[in-house]
Amino acid sequence: MSNDTTTRTKSAGVAPEKSDRTFWGWLSVWTPYTALMKLVTASPRRQFVILAAFPILWVLTQHLGPMLQMLRVSLTDAYPVAPGVEQHFTLDNYARFFGERIFWQPFFRTLIFAGTLTFCTLILTFPVAYFLARHVSRRNQLLMLLLLLIPFWVGEIVRTYAIMILLGNTGAVNLVLKWFGLIDRPIPFMYTSFSMGIGIVYLTALYMLLPLYSALEKLPKSYGEAAADLGAGAWTRFRRVTLPLTLEGISSGCTLVFLISTGFYATPVLLGGPSTTVFSETIAGFFHVAGDEWPTGAAFATIMFVTAMLLTGIFQKLMYALRKGDTK
Amino acid sequence: MTRGNRILLSCIYWAFVLYVFVPLMLMILMGFKDSKFIGFPIKSWTLDWYLGVFADAEVVSTLTYSIAIAVLSTLISVVVGTWIAVLLEGRRFLGRAAIFGLTILPALVPGIISAIAFRIYARLLGIEPGMGAIIWAHAVHNVPFVALVVMARLSTLPKSQIEAARDLGADPIIAFLRITFPYLIPAILGASIFCLLLSFDDFVRSFFLGGYEPTLPVLIFAKLRSGMSPEINAIATVALVLTAAIGIWAERFTRRTNKDTNS
Repeated sequence: MSNDTTTRTKSAGVAPEKSDRTFWGWLSVWTPYTALMKLVTASPRRQFVILAAFPILWVLTQHLGPMLQMLRVSLTDAYPVAPGVEQHFTLDNYARFFGERIFWQPFFRTLIFAGTLTFCTLILTFPVAYFLARHVSRRNQLLMLLLLLIPFWVGEIVRTYAIMILLGNTGAVNLVLKWFGLIDRPIPFMYTSFSMGIGIVYLTALYMLLPLYSALEKLPKSYGEAAADLGAGAWTRFRRVTLPLTLEGISSGCTLVFLISTGFYATPVLLGGPSTTVFSETIAGFFHVAGDEWPTGAAFATIMFVTAMLLTGIFQKLMYALRKGDTK
Repeated sequence: MTRGNRILLSCIYWAFVLYVFVPLMLMILMGFKDSKFIGFPIKSWTLDWYLGVFADAEVVSTLTYSIAIAVLSTLISVVVGTWIAVLLEGRRFLGRAAIFGLTILPALVPGIISAIAFRIYARLLGIEPGMGAIIWAHAVHNVPFVALVVMARLSTLPKSQIEAARDLGADPIIAFLRITFPYLIPAILGASIFCLLLSFDDFVRSFFLGGYEPTLPVLIFAKLRSGMSPEINAIATVALVLTAAIGIWAERFTRRTNKDTNS
């Protein structure tokens, strides 16, 4: 790499000799191009404006724009606006949320669900990450991590379907249980919060595993050894050394998994039942039935987004405080 | 670090590997079942479902449609994401933190909310549901990943190389094209493959922004709602093999280029 680049660097932009007229050499003396460059590089300020204008415009209109438009629509009584109808400002869409049980119940169910599943994912993946980071040689670490990465390249729908086959009444789990004579008739796993939980953990585990792994991997082994020399037992070492120093990984893993699990739509539809309706299904309902109620849907999505951001924000603050308190 | 501890932990790791692989293995197996009904045990086997996939014009056209969307949206994400990364990395200016925050915003918005917001905004921009809308939504959603990966790579570019080029008379554009850009290529390729997979696998945005023509995940979803069948297993397996193969190849590729540049 270094060799290659240095040779390139040497000829970069140098006016070419007649014998080897390269494209770059030709370009740097081509009159329209030099005129353009003069215009662009007239001052550092202009150069910066030319570099910055497009990205700033893009993030404002494409990243922030959709969220702001959603907020705006949620405060109106009609959208898309039919011809001849006037649009009014209203808070009714938000009031509807608190008025009806079928709206706020899925909302709180989603939050409790996402919180519980985040915790389960943490408990499930921590030992795996710990094993990879501390007990496996450097060479094998990457291979064993890659082994876990492969299934996560596969999409949400395909993996949800795989869980349906695993847990169905004629699915693999029921078959195995029957073989061992543990059950006579299949256990109805599907269309319950259990099947939904298994499915969502299956989809999100990696987003917990990777931050945990990188936090644990950075932790020097000598810390644990020092604590052991000072007489700390295994549990104390874990609680006083490993855990406090991996809080950052835990906090970003939990935030990611929580945000992702609140946003699933297809998985709850396919794996859940009528008693496990989550808020994303409620929101989607406003968008694909006849007589679209976009403003209400937008209001509900806004409620969900603001709540999710607030909760993860508070969580991160708490974890930060905990981290600072522990290292003092 | 006792021996017992290590054995217990390695058991947990392998149990986790099973949890991650077994459902997919079962799904692939079920595609060979010689019956219309999904369920174990499998008594007789057939290749018909898999052969049927490639004979099914709907599946083949859906596959090409999904691939076209993935490629076009990735091209947009890569250009925009790289541009943002070049602006943000190693520069200090008023509002940099705000722009960085806005850059990663689409990656933080939960799936359904992002889909709804894009749906509403597409109406404002006058984009009809369909291919264009899906490409646009995927492109915007994937920009943060490109920007982050390219910024990480850019932060390791030795400043002296740019300075040397400038001293030798290269203007900013030539210095970028001849020094910075070649240095960024591994990161850009890695990010592109990630974007391709994200787009190809995406369901929720494709579902809410799509017209009558489904992408592959939307097709599988629609078929699932009308009942499970080994036909779906075969289609899902084709999607699985395609994504896993690209993923593994990308992993090997990035590792190789990293080794090359480090030595």
